Amino acid sequence: MTNSPIIAENLVRHFGDVQAVKGINLEIKAGEVFGFLGPNGAGKSTAVRMLTTLLRPTSGTARVAGYDVVKDADRVRRSIGVALQDAAIDPLMTGAELLALQAVLYGIPSAMMKKRSDELLERVGLTAAASRRVSTYSGGMRRRLDLALSLIHQPTVLFLDEPTTGLDPMSRLTLWEEVRRLNKEGTTVMLTTQYLEEADQLADRIAIIDHGKIVREGRPVDLKAGVGAPTLIIKTHADQEERAKAVLETFGDLRPGAEGALGVGLRGGAAQVTEVVRKLDESGVHVQHLEINEPSLDDVFAEATGYRLEGSDNAPPAGDNGVEEPDTKKKSRRGRK
Amino acid sequence: MNTSTHTTIREKDLHTTTMRSARELIKRSLINTRRLPSAFFPTLAMPIFNMVSFSGTFFALTKLPNFPTDRSVNWFMPLGLAMGSAFSGVGLGFSLIRDLENGFYDRLRMSPTSRVSLIVGPVLATWIRVTLVSLVVFIAGYLLGARPTAGVLSYVCSLAAALGISTIGAGWGLGLGYRFQDMRGAAIMQLSIFLTMFMSTAQVPLNVMTGWLHTVARLNPITNIFRLSRSGWVNQTDPGYMSWSNAFGGLLAIGVLSILSLIFDLQSLKKIDN
Repeated sequence: MTNSPIIAENLVRHFGDVQAVKGINLEIKAGEVFGFLGPNGAGKSTAVRMLTTLLRPTSGTARVAGYDVVKDADRVRRSIGVALQDAAIDPLMTGAELLALQAVLYGIPSAMMKKRSDELLERVGLTAAASRRVSTYSGGMRRRLDLALSLIHQPTVLFLDEPTTGLDPMSRLTLWEEVRRLNKEGTTVMLTTQYLEEADQLADRIAIIDHGKIVREGRPVDLKAGVGAPTLIIKTHADQEERAKAVLETFGDLRPGAEGALGVGLRGGAAQVTEVVRKLDESGVHVQHLEINEPSLDDVFAEATGYRLEGSDNAPPAGDNGVEEPDTKKKSRRGRK
Repeated sequence: MNTSTHTTIREKDLHTTTMRSARELIKRSLINTRRLPSAFFPTLAMPIFNMVSFSGTFFALTKLPNFPTDRSVNWFMPLGLAMGSAFSGVGLGFSLIRDLENGFYDRLRMSPTSRVSLIVGPVLATWIRVTLVSLVVFIAGYLLGARPTAGVLSYVCSLAAALGISTIGAGWGLGLGYRFQDMRGAAIMQLSIFLTMFMSTAQVPLNVMTGWLHTVARLNPITNIFRLSRSGWVNQTDPGYMSWSNAFGGLLAIGVLSILSLIFDLQSLKKIDN
């Protein structure tokens, strides 16, 4: 256990009566991209804020880059790079000025500062915008600058808290590419996200957090295999739903689906679809829509939590899925995306 | 995004120092002042407005027996300076709240630099702004008829008092900002600091006060700072005229209150983690 760059044991965080993180255990190995997946308010950001020394755990311990996050907070800070959920950047300053400030705060020698800043600006494609005020940057540019700032001291461990939330698809792909490149260069990455696809694309291993607890952990491929059966989704008239459920139950376990849709994990595999349709027809159920999905992280999530993440293909309508996560920054950051 | 980086930074290369970080934070603060002058303008306008309005409206105060000066602007210019300095200090608390609310302060807290630099840097930036404001007020005061009675020392003492008040105001503002982390702190900052100032000799000398106000003003350490600030602007025959014993009380009050506010800030900053 001792060589892993991120280790959390029984990490707990209370905010008054609310228990935002309820004893999580994590071990992230060197060179991994670890995805921390969960809905808004599940406890992801609170966990990350504890691991990055911004918030003291109520109980439990965590070691990052070999140092205790409470006792050796300064050494942890020297070793990690962090891009938080909101790209927290002073809009009145320019990209180059912010990089210079960050370099000084991390103690980078004056002789190296300019070269390092220029390299990072080039890396994130902001050289031309370096002398512009950040207030003129697009959301994607801000995220890229945020990433550059977090890399100024060449950290061995990088925390990315919902790095692509609110970004357009192109900017998202660009950031994914950069995360992959950083990981190839040896950086251990802990990535929190509420996007299943992001976790699936980037993470070597993932943990699903819900109501402050880790409910599943493992390689995406293993977790999907664990779900086993493919999911058959049907839509029918509301007055026929009960009859349809009764039929579907005979083919496997019912799974959560979007509003107006029913899902079932087919025990006998996709080959059973024809038989399901025949039985539904015999029961007088008129099927309006039918689809079959191979197990996905969405199914893993649904199986682990009993509901689907908002934004996933089979998600229920907007509603709060988790414990309301107390605002550790005293500011609302929980707008539904 | 482009490819690899070339500079290799080793852990032994990284040396954070309080003063280097503080210097960079001063720079940031001054950049923001330059780019958002509207935030700085009240700090400049308020002391001039105070000086002009009070010295005009309360001109008759100088007719009181044993009033320390026969020029009302000599009396009210240090008050204007003090108000402007306090406003600058409290303004730092407002900036902190903005940084806390938009998350920028998380970036500063996550850096390995000393916590002292996070406090000292912005306070020193306030000193620069207050010096600038003081120069403008001195010029405006001179044009309105303020005349020093102790030469250059008059200006030095007033400036020292202004810097002291801004340090105390900034310390108080930062501490409350860390504690509340939102605009609730702002109201307390303003109310408490201006109330404390007005319960001193800010407007009238101690000898014309009576009752509880006299007692509070006599005990209020801000009275000592006003005595320092005005020591070069009162008549040479007044007991409050420039002397080491008059300056000492003010300097001591500034020193003690500044240290207490720094301790309050450091303690409050620690509390954010909890």
